[in-house]
Amino acid sequence: MAELAFATIAELKKKLEKKEISKQELLSYCIGRFKKHDPQIESALEIFDDQSVIKASPQDGILSGIPGILKDNIAQKGRKLTCSSKILQGFTATYDATASHNLKKEGALLVGRANCDEFAMGSSGETSAYKKTKNPWNLARVPGGSSSGSAAAVAAGLVPWSLGSETGGSVRLPAAFCNLVGSKPTYGLISRYGLVAYGSSLDHIGVLTRTVYDNALVLSAIASPDVHDSSSRGVKKDYTKSLTEKLPNGLTIGIVDNALHAKGMNSEIAAAIEKAISVFEKLGATVKRINVPTIDYSAATYFIVSRAEAASNLSRFDGVRYGLRADVDTLEQMYSKTRHNGFGTEVKTRIIVGNYVLSAGYAGQFYEKANMVRAMIRADFVKAFKNIDLLVMPTHSIPAFKFGEFDVDKLAMDLQDSFTCSANLAHIPAISVPCGFTSDKLPIGLQLVGPDFSEELLFQVGHAYEQATDWHKQYASL
Amino acid sequence: MITITKEELLKFAHLSRIEIQATEIDSLLKQLNGVLNYAQRVQEIAKPIEESLQKNRNVWRDDVIIKTNPQPLLANAPEQEADYFVVPVVLDNE
Repeated sequence: MAELAFATIAELKKKLEKKEISKQELLSYCIGRFKKHDPQIESALEIFDDQSVIKASPQDGILSGIPGILKDNIAQKGRKLTCSSKILQGFTATYDATASHNLKKEGALLVGRANCDEFAMGSSGETSAYKKTKNPWNLARVPGGSSSGSAAAVAAGLVPWSLGSETGGSVRLPAAFCNLVGSKPTYGLISRYGLVAYGSSLDHIGVLTRTVYDNALVLSAIASPDVHDSSSRGVKKDYTKSLTEKLPNGLTIGIVDNALHAKGMNSEIAAAIEKAISVFEKLGATVKRINVPTIDYSAATYFIVSRAEAASNLSRFDGVRYGLRADVDTLEQMYSKTRHNGFGTEVKTRIIVGNYVLSAGYAGQFYEKANMVRAMIRADFVKAFKNIDLLVMPTHSIPAFKFGEFDVDKLAMDLQDSFTCSANLAHIPAISVPCGFTSDKLPIGLQLVGPDFSEELLFQVGHAYEQATDWHKQYASL
Repeated sequence: MITITKEELLKFAHLSRIEIQATEIDSLLKQLNGVLNYAQRVQEIAKPIEESLQKNRNVWRDDVIIKTNPQPLLANAPEQEADYFVVPVVLDNE
């Protein structure tokens, strides 16, 4: 059954429909793959027992019998939920996130909890308090973060899809590092109810798969309106319908030159993207070279807004209602000691930076200015989309790096979000698709970025590109 | 150039209710200074934009009280008694 490991959801659905394989057999196969390969990859924090997985999804729908894994910051009722942090040790989710609920309603089998950077704060997966997930393409290298386990599990052929979350690029970056399709839809399209909050005005749930079709299918399952999320703007629709294998007539694509030629851009990545641009031209697109100048300020803006919101959101972890509590005499000491013991260095740093940029003395210089630049970034995108249909940008400036490579230069690690976080700040949709490999056989991704609610266009263009190339058909060998 | 002092770090750590040990100070200062010095570049271009380009709006629902069993939530607490979370003494008896 070796061909099952890297079968797409579309292929698995056919096998299930034709009864070539049963739901139970497919699930056992996936769980077996985790048992065999995950001691090496370390993508999962927990794999559930098969009977409880089947019992949790009794209904039939568009993902009937298709196993997948959720990042461990998305609530699954009755399951542990840690955000890969010690502070949530022992916590059990008392309700399903809307995304989990919708997946179960569509028959998807939720097999476990995927490792990630602690509270989704990181670009490599290394800040998890529990394990360091490896990149299936090269075990000495990181899979990208923060949705590290979600990406590695799909890239290793353990499951065909996973959910991650992103605040600044945590789905698209690991997707690019692992040769996957990673999507971040328009803000509000997927409800965040049950997603543990990090930066609420930037947080999104996203989907990781090996093909664009599969990605559109999983999005069709989870996007919905939701009264439990006041920012929800989801609509129930079939996002696979736009996948015609062709580009729309008269499509104009803008190449974001100031991103593609940014300082520090790896030459092999830039070359792969130039090659992809020529594919778009062959497919009939008109290509324009443009600059979106404020993108150069997006990482700085993102650092400020995300840390500020993190400082507020993570104040709820105080040792009173959940998880860890330090055994000390006074309430004040309990807060400080619990948070000292429970949070890792990255989380502590972000909270302290957040309170600094929000404080009376510095908010004017930092938080207020960042919000102005944020509005300017969105304005720049809105302006660009008046003349072009979508933008092409690199997802990353360097390929998957080695463990510990940025231990002495954390700022360089944080800057991995430089090309992705502008879409989070502007609330617009973006997907990363595989577009090549470096000479060291490390995957390269490119981003398609579109205006509000242009997911169908992004999927259509991504799918047409995918049909004209075969990057997505290359798999990591374990 | 921003240079956060040790005193400032300890002040913001206290505001954040995070205990900092002496051995952590140097590396935290390095990280804080690194990110803040990079982030302050927003000041170079920041200017207010007149028109609002945000299309977002709040989604409201009726504020209805739904009775739920508190036990599963309380069961996640480090310490609980009856229907309450237990915390260290807040007010001194004297």
